[in-house]
Amino acid sequence: MQSTDTEFLIPTSVGEALQAIAKEDAIFLGGGTSTALLYKTRLIEPSRVVWLGNVNELKGIRISASEVRIGAMTSVAEIAADSEIARLLPGLSSAAGVIGNARVRAMATLGGALAHADPRQDIPPALIAVDAKASIRSLSSTREVSLAEFYAGFLETVLDPDELVTEVVIPITSNRRSAYLRYTPTSEGDYPTVGVGSSLTFADDGKTVSAAKIILCGVGAVPIIAAQAAQALIGTTADESVLRNAAALVRGAIDPQDDERGTADYKTEMSEVFTYRCLRLCLGN
Amino acid sequence: MKITFNLNGKGMELDVDPMSLALDVIRGLSLTGTKEGCGVGVCGACTIMVNGSPVSSCICLVGTLSDKDVWTIEGLAEKMPELIDSFVEKEGMQCGICTPGQIVAAAAIDSVGASSPEDIKKYMAGNLCRCTGYQTILSAVEEYVAIN
Repeated sequence: MQSTDTEFLIPTSVGEALQAIAKEDAIFLGGGTSTALLYKTRLIEPSRVVWLGNVNELKGIRISASEVRIGAMTSVAEIAADSEIARLLPGLSSAAGVIGNARVRAMATLGGALAHADPRQDIPPALIAVDAKASIRSLSSTREVSLAEFYAGFLETVLDPDELVTEVVIPITSNRRSAYLRYTPTSEGDYPTVGVGSSLTFADDGKTVSAAKIILCGVGAVPIIAAQAAQALIGTTADESVLRNAAALVRGAIDPQDDERGTADYKTEMSEVFTYRCLRLCLGN
Repeated sequence: MKITFNLNGKGMELDVDPMSLALDVIRGLSLTGTKEGCGVGVCGACTIMVNGSPVSSCICLVGTLSDKDVWTIEGLAEKMPELIDSFVEKEGMQCGICTPGQIVAAAAIDSVGASSPEDIKKYMAGNLCRCTGYQTILSAVEEYVAIN
């Protein structure tokens, strides 16, 4: 690989990192699993790379009674290995545990995954299903954006060039169950043909669905929020026919393309099948 | 740019382009046990161990190794002879191209705490063997985990 003039900066605080990004074509770097690939094929040629590996305030998982906060530089492997995440957010836990392979999970970071915005990623459906928000900072502002509104297009987010996702905040709700299920007909380490994140929240009777979310990856330019399908579950007791009906409704929400992971028709069929199975997982069977 | 890190237990200071790949830098140091396979982080032939975790050196920008503890097959072969013995005893190799990566991945298995055959299989799934000698590779890793 030929040498380049790309500057490589290693800040140790968020403040320093935000100062460092103020240059045209500068980018933040997390674990580098996606960035290195984009760079070695020269799809990106940044003027400056701001590596966040030594910014300790961006690392770690903090859990309180009302929310889970995960720092942007927390690795996917740490999320997959955390027993409290597995208990409180089983959908997120299983999504983190199936990404790529053990090496990718060890290197890849949560913030990097969000900013990269590949629509086949496993984590976004799992996070959107549990109402996760991204905390975003720049030198001049701080804001929170729901991940449901975070994705703007293929590899595009609502982030401004000077903004950094510092952490992801997930509210803890009692009576909510979540699950993530993917379909990888090629190899385990591949991106999924379709992945489904779902959550069901139950009323005080423990049976009636009071809120529901269904989100799919791999079948559109961004994670697809199947709102109508989820709506069909609300007010029901999520019995067999209701699940089948909701799963069929995802067909109208998705926009799959033909590729090596399946034709658009095949992905449509599999989206229905795996939505049904994911909802069953949510119910514990 | 000067990058400092530990390589196979020794402190290193290299003057390199931080955007070069760890794979190229390591092989440039005559440590050619680390192989390039797919070049996109899928096959595991180029696995190195960074702070105890397995890493694909073909998609690892060398700047991100700053201040890290890095091990390659050469260092691990000296440090963990019992791991090599397990692979020899169980014949956990055929043509050999994937073997350094398989061994380095096995050396880093503590990073995920895999100990059951099922967990070991899931963890090692990211290291491909195109001779498909998976049973003997898994037997080698299982033996290594059992005696450690």
